[in-house]
Amino acid sequence: MGFTVKVEGPSTIELGTTSITGVKFRTDIPHDSNARSTDMGSTVTITGKILTAVDGDPFDSTRQLGLWALVPAEKSDCYRKVSIEVIAASQVVRKYTYPNAFVVDYKEDYGDVEGVGTFTLIIKQKKDKMAQVAVEGGYSV
Amino acid sequence: MGLRLKIEGSESISLPETSITSVVFGADIPHDSNARSTDLGSTVLIKGKILAAVDGEAADDTSKIAKWSLVPAENMDCYRRLQIDVVNASQIVRQISVPNAFVVDYQEDFTDETGAGVFSLLVKQKKDKMASLKFEGGFSGE
Repeated sequence: MGFTVKVEGPSTIELGTTSITGVKFRTDIPHDSNARSTDMGSTVTITGKILTAVDGDPFDSTRQLGLWALVPAEKSDCYRKVSIEVIAASQVVRKYTYPNAFVVDYKEDYGDVEGVGTFTLIIKQKKDKMAQVAVEGGYSV
Repeated sequence: MGLRLKIEGSESISLPETSITSVVFGADIPHDSNARSTDLGSTVLIKGKILAAVDGEAADDTSKIAKWSLVPAENMDCYRRLQIDVVNASQIVRQISVPNAFVVDYQEDFTDETGAGVFSLLVKQKKDKMASLKFEGGFSGE
């Protein structure tokens, strides 16, 4: 199962199947609601590897994710368009599109034992723009 | 993966890849925000070994970190400039500079089973100076 993540803003960040290791989608609805709640949100957790460029390859764009996490709320580019594809057997199983995503957590982890670092990015869709989240899938690549 | 730590303030502290074992960089943003929050912070957790000096070489700088963690808030020296380099295959994968770092936690752990002690240092960037934090990398070095 492969994942591709694309973040479109002032610059485009693209991460492919070699670096993304996991994606988790969840819909946040209050568990204690007695009837369908209007308080609905959506959170995505993306985990992956921070790869070192060898043989003169370009560097991966994980650093751009770190910079996005540090953009202050006063700037409009703290909201970016994120599309995530889950690909298996030449089929796009899911394609999630978050047109106004913002970062709620970003973490990078390095050790002296592993050859690569790892990152965890948690994003949310702006809550008043929940209707714009698109879930597609079930077609070939 | 080689991790290097440099701290500059009233004194210079430098720890090479032989002593640092792990670095975790995190952006602290409230998870329950409905839209992008202005409450943005950054935390760095550094773990490493406390090495004993042999063959008459100088002792490592970990004791200076312990002293830094004890500097009172009234003293301007409690804020120091911290830099972390992540080096791999002659490339600087990350160079994180935290120009106004302060200690929020420092721990040293010694037991009779291990030959070296371990330390863990948790620092934060002064929250009103978040804009001066530098997150660089992706260039060749060495």
